[in-house]
Parts: sequence; structure tokens; C-alpha cells
Amino acid sequence: MMHTILLAILFCCLIVLGICAISVRNLFEAIILFGAYSYFAVLSYLALSAPDVAFTEAVIGVVSTAYFVTAWKELKKRRPKQHE
Amino acid sequence: MKQNEKDSILLEVGFRLLIPLIVVYAFYVLLHGEYSPGGGFQAGVLLGVAVILPRLLKSGKRLLTGFQAIMLAGCGTFFYLLIGLIPMFFGGKFLQYGVMPFFADPVENHPLGILLIEVGVTICVMATVVSIFDSLGKKKEDDTI
Repeated sequence: MMHTILLAILFCCLIVLGICAISVRNLFEAIILFGAYSYFAVLSYLALSAPDVAFTEAVIGVVSTAYFVTAWKELKKRRPKQHE
Repeated sequence: MKQNEKDSILLEVGFRLLIPLIVVYAFYVLLHGEYSPGGGFQAGVLLGVAVILPRLLKSGKRLLTGFQAIMLAGCGTFFYLLIGLIPMFFGGKFLQYGVMPFFADPVENHPLGILLIEVGVTICVMATVVSIFDSLGKKKEDDTI
């Protein structure tokens, strides 16, 4: 029972964060929200007892956040008026 | 970018402390991947993070630029292929570790074969992560492939 409640909370957080990440206008906020989404994905994989997938997701979350921030900085340098 | 521009002390000290730990943890993940979560891909991405963290600093060293990264990715894939081909010279099939000549017992050859495969995967993933980061980020003269 406790496990089901925990999973339900984690899935609700995943859905809310996913909708926020794709609907927010600022790009940097979207990157940070995607990092949070990835973290909750890690927690739900752990709750589903798949530690290997959780580890991969954690590592990929870190690297993809670094990628997104770099691409965002490059985009900001090219078009400084939008995306502040 | 100006040459005398300085990073914040937090980034400098944090990266200096983090990078050795990340490298050690990556090797632990690679070598202990048989018994615990982890393996070649995760270790490769961790090593790649250790290589791309200094690039976020303005005064950091840039290891593995451009062509070197692509070459290293190819070398990792080639190492995988080479290890996979070894059993074929001893009458087995591709990636059939049991007939490898390192130990007499075929059961002992399996972990060694898988570990060597994972080393190839690690090298390839590390170089690919660095190469993708370079192609996204700022262009310098030595980055042209």
C-alpha cells in the first residue's frame, strides 16, 4: 500500500513537471524543469526496483543538462534580444 | 571572450575537488559493474563528464579536442570488435567468450570477456559525449573536424 502511494506521488510529480517543462516560455526554466523531471524519473525507476535503469537515467540527466545549458548559451550569444 | 576574465571561486574549487572523485567513481562503476548497477555506458558518461567539466571553466584545459575525440570513439569501437573476434580464431562464434584462451575454465573467461567489451564501450561513449559537447558549444580554431 505504501509503495503504491509513493509511486502515485512520484508519477503525479512526473506528469506535472513534464507539462510545466514543455509549456514554460523561458528556455532556461525549461532546462531546469527538465532536470527536475529527470530526477523524479530516477526516483520512480528506483521505486520500481530497476536500479540499473535509474543509474543510467541519472547520468544521462546530468549530461543532457550540460548539453542544454551549453546550447542555450550559444543561442543567447547569437540572438541576444530573445531568450534572456 | 577576454583572456583575463576569471571564474567564480566556487566553480574553480568545486571542479578541482569533483573531477578526481568522478574519475575514481567511473572506474569503480566500470570494474564493479558485474555485481552492482553500472557498466560500460555509465562509466563512459561519467568519464566524459570529467572531461567536459574543465571546459565550462574559462581558464580550464581542453583535453580531447575535435579530431582526437572522433579518433578515440573509433578506437573504442574497434577494440570491441577485436575482442569479439578473438573467439573466432579459436573455433567459436563472434563474442563467444567461453573458448577464449586466457583461462582453462570457460566459466572464468566469461567475466573477463564482458569486462574487456565494457572497456571498449567506455572509451567509445566517453569520446562521443565529449564530441557532442564540442559540437554544441563555442567554436574555437582547433575544434574543426
